[in-house]
Amino acid sequence: MDIKILLVDDESDFVETMVKRFGIRKMPIDSAKSGQEALAALETKEYDVIILDVRMPGMDGLQVLKLIRERAPLTEVIMLTGHASLETGMQGMNLGAYDYVLKPADFDDLLDKVRKAFERKELNAKARKQGT
Amino acid sequence: MQRPASRGPDPVGDNPGIGQGILARATGAKGWKDHGLLLWTHFLVPPVLAALVVAAAFATPVVAGILAAAVLAIAAVSARGLLSRLSRTEEARLSLNSQLIQSQKLAAIGELSAGLAHEINNPIAIIAQEAEWAEHVVREAEKNCNADFAEVRDSLREVRAQVDRCKNITHKLLDFARKREPVLQDVDVGRIIEDMARLVDKEAAYKNVTLTRDLPQDLPLLRTDSPLLRQVVLNLMTNALQAVDTGGRIEVSARADDEVMEIRVKDNGCGIEPENLEKIFNPFFTTKPPGQGTGLGLSMCHTLVTGMRGEIFVESKPGQGAAFTVRLPRKT
Ligand SMILES: Nc1ncnc2c1ncn2[C@@H]1O[C@H](COP(=O)(O)OP(=O)(O)OP(=O)(O)O)[C@@H](O)[C@H]1O
Ligand SMILES: [Mg+2]
Repeated sequence: MDIKILLVDDESDFVETMVKRFGIRKMPIDSAKSGQEALAALETKEYDVIILDVRMPGMDGLQVLKLIRERAPLTEVIMLTGHASLETGMQGMNLGAYDYVLKPADFDDLLDKVRKAFERKELNAKARKQGT
Repeated sequence: MQRPASRGPDPVGDNPGIGQGILARATGAKGWKDHGLLLWTHFLVPPVLAALVVAAAFATPVVAGILAAAVLAIAAVSARGLLSRLSRTEEARLSLNSQLIQSQKLAAIGELSAGLAHEINNPIAIIAQEAEWAEHVVREAEKNCNADFAEVRDSLREVRAQVDRCKNITHKLLDFARKREPVLQDVDVGRIIEDMARLVDKEAAYKNVTLTRDLPQDLPLLRTDSPLLRQVVLNLMTNALQAVDTGGRIEVSARADDEVMEIRVKDNGCGIEPENLEKIFNPFFTTKPPGQGTGLGLSMCHTLVTGMRGEIFVESKPGQGAAFTVRLPRKT
């Protein structure tokens, strides 16, 4: 099954390589350059997994995470960060991020996390269906 | 939903203190020792009497003596066995009780704080908006009247800073009260620990603290909720980092047997005062200065771990560091 992935990062070089690398594996991904763009994208499409940079100009990653969790509670979010900050790591996990990954992230590793996050989303969706 | 606090007579009300089990484990169980003398008498008196009777009947002191000694030894061994079994069950009961009380208490506090946070959130948001607006007005006034209201601006900035602090707390509270149904997946626990340790590494290095991992290569996968486990591990490591001095050591390890997976975070920091041992899992208990600790970390860990049907406990001697252990069942 196709995983619907959105990558949110203001670093266009990074986004480009990621799009390419996912593309090679026949996993097309969407990208957004800012939190606002990501939230706009969320209005038009339902994503399974969002990979979200913590530090972006404009809306900060944690704020975006909070809004994503409110608007699309089933969507899993993997936080990416260039700076290992414990404080934001804790906040991110507390706000319901699926994982918190240090840049530069090993691609296969990230792929593995995306798959796991997707599996979790599916499990959650199933549980919710049975619950109602 | 029923609130645990209003459940009438407490079924485990005779328990001397919350967290007793944790305390008992940390200090060596007490309680059962009171029965010790009784049991010894109970087991030893009859055979001694019997031996006396035998001795009297045969009137040959040597044989009777050996006989009595043998009976005595047997009785002693059996008494000992019984005692240790008793102590084990008693300890298990105490720990179960305390875990139960702790969970009920946390549930009640969770509900209460969520209600409170909800109520306070709106006024706080309005205060923040108004302060922002007032700042704007002051700036305009300064421009128009060519005046300097620096003090007013300072004061408004302070208002906003404090409101932000309140917001932080209410958000933490809401988060604390959020119900988390664990979602079970096959999880590589070693990986999770390594990932979270990397987040801590930089700050640890900054403080000249070594963070070592002891993770067996053949650690089995665990069926558990990975984000929740990450939260627990991160919380414990953060606490450890905050507890050690520069040059300190933190050791994270994991191991598994057929029944449980055990994760341990051990540090050689300040340790925990005995009188605080039973309080540290309570929400809002903190020894950190205001603004630095909310005291929600460990109670959150406790809620998450019991939610995963596991247990968490601490061993510590003040001045000699602390070790937190999380035990999670491998069979689901
Ligand atoms: N590794 C440790 N060594 C010594 N004391 C500890 C350790 N871990 C926790 N404590 C004690 O337990 C208290 C409660 O910890 P907890 O994580 O619940 O809250 P906190 O760290 O104070 O604040 P928060 O986690 O909300 O930022 C701490 O204030 C500290 O006194
Ligand atoms: Mg803490």
